[in-house]
Amino acid sequence: MKFGVFFEISVPRPWGPETEYTVYQNCLEQARLADELGFDQAWAVEHHFLEEYSHCSAPEIFLTAIAMQTKRLRVGHGIVTCVPELNSPIRAAERGAVLDLVSGGRLEFGTGRSATWTELGGFGANPDETKKTWDEYVRVIPRMWTQERFSWQGRAFSMPERTVLPKPYQKPHPPMWVAVTSVGTEIDAAERGLGSLGLSFGGVGEQARKIAGYRKRIQSCDPVGEFVNEQVNTVSFLYCHEDDEQGVTTGQRMAGTFNYLSEQTLATRQAFPTPSYLSPGLLYQLRQESTSAPEGKVPEGLTIGDPHRVAQAVRRWEEAGVDRINFLLNVHEMVPQEDVLASMRLFAREVMPQFQRAEEAKPAPEPEPAAATAAGGA
Amino acid sequence: MPLTGTRDLTAAAADAPLLTSLDTEPWELKGAQHLQLHYELGGDREALLPPALHPSIPPTLLVNVTHVPDSEVGAFTLATVRVGCRAGARPRGLLVRGYCDSAAATAVLRERWGLPLALADVRLDPSYARAVTSVTLDGAPILAGELVDPQPITGADVQYMATLALARVARDGEETLLLQVDPDYTFERAQRGRPRLTAFDAHAWNLPGATAAHPISASLTTVDVTFPRLRYLIHPGRDPLRAVERLPQPA
Repeated sequence: MKFGVFFEISVPRPWGPETEYTVYQNCLEQARLADELGFDQAWAVEHHFLEEYSHCSAPEIFLTAIAMQTKRLRVGHGIVTCVPELNSPIRAAERGAVLDLVSGGRLEFGTGRSATWTELGGFGANPDETKKTWDEYVRVIPRMWTQERFSWQGRAFSMPERTVLPKPYQKPHPPMWVAVTSVGTEIDAAERGLGSLGLSFGGVGEQARKIAGYRKRIQSCDPVGEFVNEQVNTVSFLYCHEDDEQGVTTGQRMAGTFNYLSEQTLATRQAFPTPSYLSPGLLYQLRQESTSAPEGKVPEGLTIGDPHRVAQAVRRWEEAGVDRINFLLNVHEMVPQEDVLASMRLFAREVMPQFQRAEEAKPAPEPEPAAATAAGGA
Repeated sequence: MPLTGTRDLTAAAADAPLLTSLDTEPWELKGAQHLQLHYELGGDREALLPPALHPSIPPTLLVNVTHVPDSEVGAFTLATVRVGCRAGARPRGLLVRGYCDSAAATAVLRERWGLPLALADVRLDPSYARAVTSVTLDGAPILAGELVDPQPITGADVQYMATLALARVARDGEETLLLQVDPDYTFERAQRGRPRLTAFDAHAWNLPGATAAHPISASLTTVDVTFPRLRYLIHPGRDPLRAVERLPQPA
């Protein structure tokens, strides 16, 4: 089991001249500490216009800052929005390659398509098209990274022959992922040989079912990249405290605040009737899955509470087939920064070693070029 | 805490219905045609909402016109213009004033669900190429619009927001409240197109300063609508986290 940190970068009102600066600096400090403590990865979302909920609109710059301030931490786009109005596929490939180079080969490249009218409408994107453009992007970006010359005549974009530069440091290219929120996207991931980047917070049972389907389908996939990235990443809130009740109470407040903020945005389906967004959307799922426990109980899989309870939750994810967990460390700055850092330290001291030992005890896997590369060549 | 509204709805409630009971039975309306024109809202978003509600991000303007071909009070056509918002974390549409072309239907909808309706000439004319709507009050057009370029979709693709209807309720004393009206919909047919609004008199809908700033979508459905029992109400002047009141339900 590998552990990471996950940044939404939520910024509470009122917005003073220092507010966003402070939140960004807090996040960078958390990333530096994560690196020191042995966390494996840091992911950052791409969101636009989502007031208070997420001010992380230029993740490639934020992740570059993390890469420059850390030594080991892998940096993950969670996700690049694969919609032409938001990101040119050429620019996405170029930026990813540069981030991989300057980080010394630490890039994890997540892909997705956005779930809100707030974002898609803001850029004038057509929600009917996003699944199609995502599919096109994940097929062409690895070719831009690996082919010296590349040309394309497609639906989302076309380009005459050019050499897309630079090429990534990791060869043949960085591991690719897709955000799995809508029903069936885990199968889309599997069919294309992409890693499954679960973003649903909690809901272990439902995710276990998705993971089983993913693992089965990926065995017969037709990979869009040069290798199969069979890995499952999930995300959870982390608040680890010596006092279980305080840990649980604070963690649940984080989850509740996160859901409350996310619901203020306008889900695509609420505004634009389309078969392209069949599920009620990411944000609705987040709320449902992380608040579905009976009164007085901790929702299953939420990594909050004392180290014993947090370790139990991690174990549950492990049993469900998850390879990595990324932790959302704070929401809306409701937890003081020193308490966030203390929670990370406690987790690293009391919980992380239990799973590192388990990792070391596992027999070494058979040599598999694809799998070795999937892990980023590490 | 997300932004909240600043509007005192007391004055706007002067011509809202006065309910003496919140206990009502469901009302099923078969084969209705329902047009929705959805826009992003222009104007001062906080000034249009009371403190109990958050503007959605972005705030929206929802034009809804329903033609009911037959009911216990006969055929009628109902038009509302609502502000898309959030009651806590729930998507809702605030209704301050609407119009209906039938005195009998207006009376039922005011008395049983607190819909703040007045009489006007309300029309909905669907055709294969478009669906045109208009509302005329005392000879003046206060709303005109249409869905253009309809394309078939399924009812499963359509999601309607529940209404928060401005009403006065006599309980221990008279209170200005928002009644949650969240009909059940059973879709028979659905189409999506582009919205076009050619006339909108914000004053006539008691939404001062509101404009339809940016088109989002339009839909036209054939649908069975069931107006439900009232289950929740909102105290508009309260903090969003303390504003919702659950009404007692029959066992």
